[in-house]
Amino acid sequence: MDGKSKFGLAEAVVLLTVSNMARIFISFPRTLVEMSGPAAWISSLTGMGLSILQVYLFYMILKPNPGQNIVDIANKSLGNIAGTIFNTIFAFFFLAVAALFTRTFSEALIISALPATPISFLMSGFIMLAVLGSYIGLEAMARSARLTYPFVLSGIVLLLLGLSPLWDLQQVFPILGNGPVNVFIAGGFISGAVTEILLAAVIVKSFHGPEMFFKITSRAMLMGFFYLTMLLLVMVTTLSWNTGQEDTLPFYTLARLVYLGRFFQRVESIFIIIWGFIGIIKVTLTLYASAITLAGTFRLQDHRPLLWPLALIIFTGSILPHDMPAAVRLEALLIREVTWLPTVAMPVVILLVSRLRKRGGPNESG
Amino acid sequence: MKNLLKQVMRILTYQDTTFREGFILKENDFDNKKTGASGAGPKSQEEDGGKKSAGPSRRRARTLRRPGSEGSMESGGADTAKVSTILDRNRETIESIYGLPVNKDIIIRDYTIGTEPPVKSFLVYIDGMSSRTDLNFLMQNLMLEAREISRDPIASAPSILYRLLPGSQAIMLDSFDKIVDAVNYGDTAIFVQGSPQALVVETKGWEHRPVEKPRSEQAISGPQESFIENLRANTALVRKIIRSEKLYTEMLSVGKRYRSDVAVMYMSDLANPDLVKEVKRRISSINVDYITDTGMLEQYIEDSPMNLNPQTHYTERPDRVAAFLAEGKVAIILSGSPYALVVPTTMYAQLHTGEETYLRWQYGTFLRYTRTFSFYLALLLPGLYLAAVLFHQEMIPTDLLLAIAGNRERVPFPTVVEMLMMEFSFELVREAGLRIPSPIGSTIGIVGALILGQAAVQANLFSPVIVIVVAVTGLASFSIPNYSLAFAVRTYRFFYIIMGSMLGFYGITIALFIQIMLTTNLKSFGVPYLSPIAPRTYAGGDVVTRLPIHMQIRRPDYINPQDNVRAPEEPRGWVKGNGGGGGDGRQE
Repeated sequence: MDGKSKFGLAEAVVLLTVSNMARIFISFPRTLVEMSGPAAWISSLTGMGLSILQVYLFYMILKPNPGQNIVDIANKSLGNIAGTIFNTIFAFFFLAVAALFTRTFSEALIISALPATPISFLMSGFIMLAVLGSYIGLEAMARSARLTYPFVLSGIVLLLLGLSPLWDLQQVFPILGNGPVNVFIAGGFISGAVTEILLAAVIVKSFHGPEMFFKITSRAMLMGFFYLTMLLLVMVTTLSWNTGQEDTLPFYTLARLVYLGRFFQRVESIFIIIWGFIGIIKVTLTLYASAITLAGTFRLQDHRPLLWPLALIIFTGSILPHDMPAAVRLEALLIREVTWLPTVAMPVVILLVSRLRKRGGPNESG
Repeated sequence: MKNLLKQVMRILTYQDTTFREGFILKENDFDNKKTGASGAGPKSQEEDGGKKSAGPSRRRARTLRRPGSEGSMESGGADTAKVSTILDRNRETIESIYGLPVNKDIIIRDYTIGTEPPVKSFLVYIDGMSSRTDLNFLMQNLMLEAREISRDPIASAPSILYRLLPGSQAIMLDSFDKIVDAVNYGDTAIFVQGSPQALVVETKGWEHRPVEKPRSEQAISGPQESFIENLRANTALVRKIIRSEKLYTEMLSVGKRYRSDVAVMYMSDLANPDLVKEVKRRISSINVDYITDTGMLEQYIEDSPMNLNPQTHYTERPDRVAAFLAEGKVAIILSGSPYALVVPTTMYAQLHTGEETYLRWQYGTFLRYTRTFSFYLALLLPGLYLAAVLFHQEMIPTDLLLAIAGNRERVPFPTVVEMLMMEFSFELVREAGLRIPSPIGSTIGIVGALILGQAAVQANLFSPVIVIVVAVTGLASFSIPNYSLAFAVRTYRFFYIIMGSMLGFYGITIALFIQIMLTTNLKSFGVPYLSPIAPRTYAGGDVVTRLPIHMQIRRPDYINPQDNVRAPEEPRGWVKGNGGGGGDGRQE
């Protein structure tokens, strides 16, 4: 199924941006503020630079192999056994991301709006929608993201501007926060670890070629990091970095503070629609990417038979953390540190091996 | 005394039940057949088509389905399928096909053509379908005027056609299939002794209503004509607006048992040839016994029958059809239906009325935004209200929350039940208002409003806020101009009510995601249903915001017309610096 549906630049950029934005609604901004203090927004800018380097790395891999995605290239460059191992790691990475986002978004919903609802019920909603979205396909997903993007954007802008009476610009000082090492290295690497570049390399067949991959992914990164930087700035200037690092869901906390007169207050519930939609897109896209990766690895014609089993794995994985702090800790410590393996280290190996094989002459079997 | 005793005995003794039912429609062998030999079923058609050529198999099917035709048609074989030179044999065939004398609609009129020597002839028509004036004029020519005009001793069909028939449309046919088709459609067939062909003269003259104002797509400005049940009048109404030789009308037919004509109209220099081909392919491939309305035809040609959204544009306004044709779309008009279908369509086109184009752009844009807002209200308002009241009370300002709670205090039902009952009652009023005869139909609104509004609130059955929410939602749904789309929105609304009452805004998000995914995946004749927004293509400045008319210089891109350009960069030739007084200056 992969590659049969093509969509344009705008749809692809928005799809990846929306997916990348998902992390600003959960506890990721808090983790960054905890790491970098008031300079968390600078860490975000550093992460943006690192993500652009990652985009270039994937572009180097994809450019000599037009019409192939990272899964095909791994199979071709590393051979069947190593290629399969690499691709399976990619697939399970996507599954882990989907499981953790399902859990953290469901926890966020319980905190913000549905305290009496069983978490398994909320997670089932995410999983079923992800199956539906992956079953219908990437084209519809991209168009849905494009269609809803103006509403998402206006919601976020409304939130950020609605907090303007509470901004205190003094809060951004000291400008280098917890020190250059924390801000540029630790914070930069945490914020620069993104799933969407690898994900874009998996769905690249829908992008009209590697050149478009570079355009689409780099723009998506710029936009995604722009929103993260803005949110961090507003968070630091509104809550101060001290309070900010104690909030599990900073976006929700900020939404609760919006006060636009006596009639328009406590509007955080409206943002549930926005972040719920973004969470669904994120989980759907990662489920789709894992199904496509596995289908490509095992040379299956259709990814759809894999959706139910993978959805079940995601559901099981998401229910494993004992409680919300466990899920947040897992998300912060494990995924953000492990992310560099499938998104940077493994692609570097693929790039090196493919280059070496190319120099060795056209003797590889593919 | 004897009778009395008999009656007493009848009362005291057991009597078998008298069988009072006069008629029972018993099952017979036909009920066991899934697809009969009549050719209506697709299977039999395919089987026939697979074994034989299309012509003979269709003829056989037609022969079998006519009452009383079994003996004569089958025994006659190939001779009876063609017009014979022997007049009596032709008459027998016609009588056999139409089941005369049982069938009283068919009129066979014997007469003599007034040539020298006189020639025997008869004509066939259906009473009520043909114009009596035309028929009288026709017979007057053949019987009386022929004597003066023609001295030709051989009165063959061609000579009559070229010299005696005054009808504007007359053709010679030798196949009974085609002759019967024409007679069934109001034409008159003339059989002449010694001629192997029949003359078919156009005498259609059935009763039909005149062109009236649109009933379901009313507009204040712009043309006030609507389609009627006459196909040719409908094509003429469109052609009257688009006076161009590039407007093509192709005629197809649908229905295997009762055929209906379908006109496929398009601009040959604009419409994408692949689109036209696909429209014709879908219509031609329909294998069903009959289709009487474009609403039925729509369901046979749409891409996704399971999706709620209408995938063809259903309109009764010729000016709308003309505007769509000028964009490169294709119109489908069915005989007997006062509506036309336009394909492909998008959801945004279904939210337009055409009136916005006739108004100045500011007014048009204002109308569009009002309608867009109404669309969202009609879809989401009850669901959002329930979600807010049941799950997110903190977002309702305290005064309003107290007012709502105070009003709900004495209402015995849960809010969701209250909402569903009110919505159902509203649908009931709407449906009853449509079905009740018009003289008392207007009162139903007042009665409904009184019962649902004041009385129900006073009886503490509903809270006033629910009445307001449902009323506003109802008004909003009425502002959706497309009847089918309004239906879809009404149906979707119930999903939002259920999801909003179950999971609050998260439920609304789930329902929204499902609806958006299904809708973005939808296509109408190969065009994404949410074009030109998702996917983003050039829209021509006419989606929600309507740009000034002189800025709409290109046709929408999603239709892929043969010519994208509607007008030059500055279509107003009189504007300074633009060559002043442009255009060909042609005057009406």
